[in-house]
Amino acid sequence: MDPTPNSPRASSPKRPADKLDARALARARRDAMLRRARRIRRSVAAIAAALFAAAFLAIYVQLASGNDPALSSTSTAASTIVASNTTSSSSTAAAKKTAAKRAAETLAAEEPAAETSSSGSGETSQSATPVTTSQS
Amino acid sequence: MLTQTANLATAVGPHLFWITSRAAGIAALLLSSVSVCAGLLIGGGLTKGRRPDLRVTHEALSLATLLALAVHGLTLLGDGYLHPSLGDVAVPLLSGYETLWTSMGIVAFWALLILGGSFYARTRIGVQRWRKLHRFTALAWILGVAHSLGEGTDAGQSWFLAMTAIAVLPALGLLVVRHLRPAVTARAGVAS
Repeated sequence: MDPTPNSPRASSPKRPADKLDARALARARRDAMLRRARRIRRSVAAIAAALFAAAFLAIYVQLASGNDPALSSTSTAASTIVASNTTSSSSTAAAKKTAAKRAAETLAAEEPAAETSSSGSGETSQSATPVTTSQS
Repeated sequence: MLTQTANLATAVGPHLFWITSRAAGIAALLLSSVSVCAGLLIGGGLTKGRRPDLRVTHEALSLATLLALAVHGLTLLGDGYLHPSLGDVAVPLLSGYETLWTSMGIVAFWALLILGGSFYARTRIGVQRWRKLHRFTALAWILGVAHSLGEGTDAGQSWFLAMTAIAVLPALGLLVVRHLRPAVTARAGVAS
């Protein structure tokens, strides 16, 4: 039921053609706006998904290649533990602990043939800190 | 080659939830920053002509941010090391891990959810009141940025800092401009 100029209603004296044209124009504009809005929403969803995928991939590669910040701070954490048991930074202790734990988990998963080394092979994630300490 | 790939997968496997959470956090930080930029451009009357498009973009970005934040928090529940409870990731001051920064992130999420979600109830709230309320979204975003810089695993990385600067600084600049300029209320309608 589009009130186009070709429809019988278009020739009606009560509804002039220009008024109908204006309505059709308004409808077309509204449709175009809705189409554009849908396109924008899809674009944003695609960009968000791409952002997430890129970040995931970057972190995955970083972690797998051993360059993850949590992993790289492990050696620092371990050496700090051995060097002085007295010095403890309260703000970074938790982060270092996490890093040590995660590194130990990774090592345990990465090197299943670690039977040759004395400790750590049979340990679960719950006992990761001693592994890190023994590495230093 | 295949063995190496398998080894990598085995090594990273236990951390999948953690990686997912970090990736979602990064995505949320970027999306929210762009969303804040769009919102400030609308509210400050700094755009001409493309206002409806920008409003749709702002809304879509905000929803994407909330989704990313939900993924960011909920995937932590599966983390093998932290083993947080639902309360730890949803209630401020409950988690024992980096309590201040974690709580800051949780408060930011709830604030963004409530303030963002209030858009759909703005007629019930009252448009003027809603608009005043909506300004606090910027504060929640700042809390989120502080959370990511204070607790984020990658916060010390130069790429993360550069990326954050690129996303956050324009929004901060617009926020300053917005506070220096009077808000456009006459033409804004319900959009801003």
